[in-house]
Parts: sequence; structure tokens; C-alpha cells
Amino acid sequence: MEILALKHLTFSYPGQEQKAIEDISMRIRSGDFVVLCGQSGCGKTTLLKLIKKELAPHGNLEGEILYCNKPLYKTDDRVSASEIGFVAQNPEGQIVTDKVWHELSFAMENLGYENSAISLRVGELANYFGITPWFRKQTQTLSGGQKQLLNLAAVMTVSPKILLLDEPTSQLDPIAAADFIATLQKINRELGTTILLAEHRLEELFPAADKVAVMENGRLIAYDSPRQVCMTLKNNPISAGFPSAVRIWQSLEGKNECPLTVKEGREYLEENFEPSLCNHVSRKSDFGIPFIQMSDIWFRYAKEEEDILRGADVTIHGGEIFCILGGNASGKSTLLKLIAGLRKAYRGKIEILGKSIQKYKNGGLYRHMVSMLPQDPQTVFVAGTVKEDLLDICGIMGFSKKESENKINELSDRLSIGRLLDRHPHDLSGGEQQKCALAKVLLTEPKILLLDEPTKGIDAYAKLSLKSVLAGLRDDGLCVVLVTHDVEFAAENADRCSLLFDGELLEALSPEQFFSSNNFYTTSASRMSRGIFQDTITAEAVIAAGRAQWKD
Amino acid sequence: MKHLENNAFSRFHPISLAVYFVAVMLITMFCPHPVILLLSLAGGILFSIRLTGTDAFAKDCRFYLPLFFLVTFTNPLFSHNGVTVLFFLNGKPITLEALMYGADLALMLFGVVFWSKCWGAVMTSDKLLFLFGKPFPRLSLVLSMSLRYIPLFKKKWQEIKDAQTALGCFSEGGFLSGIRSSTRIFSALVTWSFENTIDTGMSMSARGYGLKNRTSYSLFRLKRRDVFFILLTLALAASAVVGIATGALAYIFYPAASVPQDGSAILFYVLFGVLALLPFAEETREALTWRYLLSNI
Repeated sequence: MEILALKHLTFSYPGQEQKAIEDISMRIRSGDFVVLCGQSGCGKTTLLKLIKKELAPHGNLEGEILYCNKPLYKTDDRVSASEIGFVAQNPEGQIVTDKVWHELSFAMENLGYENSAISLRVGELANYFGITPWFRKQTQTLSGGQKQLLNLAAVMTVSPKILLLDEPTSQLDPIAAADFIATLQKINRELGTTILLAEHRLEELFPAADKVAVMENGRLIAYDSPRQVCMTLKNNPISAGFPSAVRIWQSLEGKNECPLTVKEGREYLEENFEPSLCNHVSRKSDFGIPFIQMSDIWFRYAKEEEDILRGADVTIHGGEIFCILGGNASGKSTLLKLIAGLRKAYRGKIEILGKSIQKYKNGGLYRHMVSMLPQDPQTVFVAGTVKEDLLDICGIMGFSKKESENKINELSDRLSIGRLLDRHPHDLSGGEQQKCALAKVLLTEPKILLLDEPTKGIDAYAKLSLKSVLAGLRDDGLCVVLVTHDVEFAAENADRCSLLFDGELLEALSPEQFFSSNNFYTTSASRMSRGIFQDTITAEAVIAAGRAQWKD
Repeated sequence: MKHLENNAFSRFHPISLAVYFVAVMLITMFCPHPVILLLSLAGGILFSIRLTGTDAFAKDCRFYLPLFFLVTFTNPLFSHNGVTVLFFLNGKPITLEALMYGADLALMLFGVVFWSKCWGAVMTSDKLLFLFGKPFPRLSLVLSMSLRYIPLFKKKWQEIKDAQTALGCFSEGGFLSGIRSSTRIFSALVTWSFENTIDTGMSMSARGYGLKNRTSYSLFRLKRRDVFFILLTLALAASAVVGIATGALAYIFYPAASVPQDGSAILFYVLFGVLALLPFAEETREALTWRYLLSNI
């Protein structure tokens, strides 16, 4: 049965020439798992909101949306509220109440369920989603992954027939994201709920999806099974976000079936290429002078809490990109805050360019020295437009008017944010916000740039542009330290990687050594090519190695 | 800090608890009989020790004891009624009765203070929400949402402060620049909260907020135990009211302090004593049960 049908749907926001959605027709069968992908700003969110009556934006709408063969906008309010579920991007903003149980009952209260019915449903749901251990907790104390799971469960209480999800995992770490996707699959498989999921982290999603819809500039350019989409969309920029196996297969002009998983990718490599275990890549190994020296750092937030850092040691040089990896709550962000002088270690020593961090007085640390891009780029902005924000920091740095103009122009060219300067920082997409925040941070002209989870919530395209910016800064002699969960990004960009575990930084290695010796904590490309090629930890490296090793 | 959620007494239904606290506090406030006030204070202190431990109580005493004496000695300075003159200060008589009345006032004050402390510890936000949610469902949702926002604001405040500090914004010390930096964080926080509210609003309407016939769910169920407790509280409180109304619990300080009566008054003391010590008894009973269970394992 067809649960949803879009017929020549076209939409534009009031006062805007450009159409946000242009002539989209698609049919979704009941029980399908559909993944919607495309660059930020291609219209995914608009499309999803149009399908949820309560959230439909104002504007000029043409065409038709049919829900169960009836016009969507004529369905009863109660039906729409309960049968069409919506989960958005921000885990925190969607939570309404202070207690987990209250959040779970919220939708049922709105629909006027009786107390006894609510008890029963809440009970079975808490069990199904594994929420029971934190059922009576405050919503505020949950982790990001738990919050998003709660948002999903809260929608599931009124048994929706179709779930619309707008990049629900973009703010989560990879493990929580995988859990969330697994729960979605479980719902789809066991309850037959139809799922329409917009996402840019596609590695685990392609094998799970029944259909993939690809959007570009408001148009639907592909809507088919994942394998078919991978085979048709070959030289499209969107494929930068596809799973590693697909990217490798596409670049090496593979024949037959496109591999989607690591397992299929291995099979493809084994069948088509001669194993070659000699080293292809050599990365920089001699670094400049040490910029950051940490020795035996111990830290905890409060006297009665546990230690977060237990004797961390590290030396980081100018002209290198240093990646600190580690699980959730392993203390990565804390380490960065210590280097930025925002927290003080209770034991141990941190030297910035040979001078103890305590000796930088009156903000000297933040003048042409250390600068940090926090996890949430929004916290950097204080003004009404990006330009004002950049002028604000110029004022703090004491640049003259002319100097400021020059510096801002130069930076906005470098980061290509020229067209964003007059917009409100909060109106930008995640990737754009981050670039503008980075511009502000770079105006302090730091020698040491600290980045906290820079790839959180940005799409593959934005990652590529971040990659080139970071490489440029490194070549200018900056010391770039980034903490991240994103192993793929670390493998592509780092000069050295280190794992923060149990409060200590383990030995720093080149990404090739680091990821090819790791079995579990490593990239898909490395898993796929292990034992076939030597030290190929990124899709690009596998492709390069593959080009040289064709079987006849 | 002990886990207050796990206290025996706080597991009663919010309505039972509210009835109990209101009864005890009203009697404490409207019956100036020293025996009643002593019993009330004792009950409040014992219960608060059960709730937060002796350490917290000892800490409190450092602050409360001087205050107790201050209240006690202030009254005779201003009130010169009473027949038993102790001495003269600046030509004004300081009387034993005024001193006793001061002590009585202090007893009442601290009785109410300790019961309020217990109320604060036992009546957690969800219980209050339940109580106010019945007559005012909208208000209860607004309260619940506000309770969620407060810790969120605190967290965001710290994040924005860190981000701005790392940009070198707060390097100059001093009072004025402190204010300037706080307004800076505050304005960023306001913008952020607008954005966040939009998300929350979307999430609410997506889940059908605003439809007719909204119900209000709670985890509290009125059990037989709770009803029994309410009845017991009301009965004991009624006895105190009878005592006050019949004059058995009347006490006069001026001109001469009345001597405690015997006979019927003792019955009223005992009944009120039972009322005041109920929470402590319930806590102790449970503590003993656990100890007994543990020793059997």
C-alpha cells in the first residue's frame, strides 16, 4: 500500500525567487525505509516539514501531497498528530518537560488518553527502548544519545504509521548514532513503521535502506534502491558522502554490482586487485619546534569527583595537525580546555611555546597565541550579523578600522564566507556557522588553533572544505589540535593521532600506523583493505593503491 | 547528601504529604503553647536529621543557635510586661515573662523553619507539579518546562563564557568589565534561547499540543496507606484544634506565666506529640526494617 505520495510538489518561501522544492514526485510504500540525502541547504528539511502538517512552512505550494490516498492537509488534526511522527536534529531543543516519564506521556496527554492507558503504553515503551533505568531521571542529566532516543520514544508512544526524521544523528557521537540507527531499523522491521530519514552520515544507512532519495538544489535527482543509486550517480559531488565501499568502487570504475558494506567491499577488492603490501604513502615526520608541552597532567572538575585526566603527557609541534581521539566522556574536550587555559590542572605542567601557561597574564594567552573553536559554534557569536561579530573580535584585538577591513576581506576569501557576512549567525547551516566561527577565531591570529569536534553536524561537502582550510593553516606553520570522534576525518587530515584513554594520552602515531594497527577503532577503508593493501586507511589511498594493482 | 527520593516518608502520596505539612505548620503557627511548640520543633529537627543527616544539622545549628538566642533576647528589650523583674536596663525593667515569651516566639519560628526545610526536601518538583497540576494543568506544564530550562541555561552560560574567554574577551579584570562581559554572555544566551524555543515549540505542535481535551498524567497513585495516613493526620490535628478551642492548650505569659495544667492537657500533648513525630517514626521504622532484613541475609 502507498502511504505517502508527492505529486509535482513545488514550494518557495515568501519573498524568495528561488524554489526551495522543485517538481518533486515520489511514492513511498507502507513499511519502506527511505533515506533522503543531499548537501546542506538542498531542501531536505523543507520537504520533511511540508509532509508534517503542523510544521509546514508558509509559502507558495503547488502540487499535491497524499497521505493514505487523501490530501495530507485535509487529514484530521488528531490523525496527523498521532500517525505522522517527526524527530528533528537538535536532541536538546525537542525535549519539552523536566522528567523522562513526563516526556514520554506528553504526546498522549495532548491526545487526551486516560491515565491507565498512558501507564500501560509508557511501561511497554520504556521496556522496548531500554529506557527503564533512567525512567525517573531528569531529562537534563541524559547524554545526547539518550536524549535523542527519548525524543524518538516520545513520538512512538502514539503509534505513528510514518516517521519523519531530520538528521537525527548529526549531533551524536558515532556509537550513539549507530545505536539510534539500529533502533530505527528495529522499529521498521518489527513494527512495520514507514521511515523517511534525512541524513548525511550514510556509511551504515545504505545497507539498511530500502530506497535512497537524492536531492540537489530542491530537485529529486535519484530515487531508487541504494545499489542502483550508487551505480547511476557516479561523478556527482553528492557521492562524497556515500559509504567508503561505494566511493572506492565508483572511482575505480567497478563493474557489476556496487558493494555497500565493508564485507562486500573486501570481496570486491579481493576479486579485482593483486595484493600489494609495500608502503605507498609517506607523511611528514619532522616537525618544527614544540608549541605545546604537557607533562603529567591531572585534572578533575570537583574535589569529590573522579579524576578525568590521570597523568597525560604530550608534545605538539608547530606545523602539524594533531588529532586526539577517544570515546564519549573520555576527557578530550577537557584536555582542550586545559590547553586553552579555561580550566586548571591540579598537578602537572603545561607550557605554551616554552612558557608556563600560568605566566600568561591579562589575556596574553589569547593574543596571537591560543584560540579555540568550541563544539557548538553558536557560542562564539554575540552580534546580529557575521560581519559585526568579526568586527567585534577585531575591536578586542585592537586592530584599526582599515586593518580590520583588510583582515576580514582576506579571511572571508580564504574561507569563502563572503556571501554570509550580512546574515544572522543563527540562520546559517551547521557547516556555514562553523566556517564563520572559525573566521572569528582566526582573527585573533593564533599560533595554536584548538578545535573541539569540528565535524559534528556538518555534511561531507563541508568536511572537504574544512579539510583544505586546516591543511592551509598547517602549511602556514600553525599548530592545529583537534579532538574528534570522527575516525575518517582524523585519518584524512592528521599528521599524528593519539588515543585518550583512561585519563592518559597513548603514544602519538602517524595515522597510517595508528589506524592500520587498530582492529576496531579504525576507518571503513582500513577494514576493507586490510591484508590487501598496505597502510591504506582512507578511501583515497585505497583508490590510489587500486589504480596500480589491477588484476588483468 | 542522601537520596531523598528514597525516603520512606516521601513515598506517601503528594496529597497526604501536603495535608500533613499544612496541618503541622498551621498548628505550630497558631498555638503558642510552649509544650506544643517544643514537640513540633523536636519533630521537625528529628525528621530533618533523618533526611539530611547529623552533619547537615550540626552545620545548621552553627547558624540557627545564635539566631535563636537573638530572637529570645530581643523581645524583653522591647516588651516590658510581666511581673517578675529580673533587672533594669537603661531604667527599663527586663522581665522573666518577656524572656519566656521571646523563647516561645523563637521556638515557633524555628519549628516552622525546620518543617519548611523538610517540606523543601520532601516535596520535590514533581510532587508540587502534581499538586498544582490538578487545578491548573497549563501552569503545571509551564512549571515543568521552566524547571527544564534552568539547568539548560546554566550549562549554556558556562559554554558561552568559555568560548568568549578563549577569544580573549574577559582579559581585563575589574568590576565594570565584569558587568560588560556578563551582559555580553547574557545577550548571546537570549538569542540562543529564542532558537531553542523554536525547536521546543515545533516539537510540541508536532506531538499534538493544543488539541482539545488534554489530560494530565502522573506517576502518583492514591493507595490505602495514603488515605489512612490522611485520616490519621486529620484526626490528630482535630484533637489539637479541640484543645485550642476548649482552652486546654491556652497559655498566658502576661502578666504572669500560667503554670502547665495537668489532666486533659496531657492527653492533648501526647496526641500532638504523635502527630509531630510521625515522619520520624516512619523513617526510623523503615531504617530498622532494613537493618533487620540485612541481619537476616
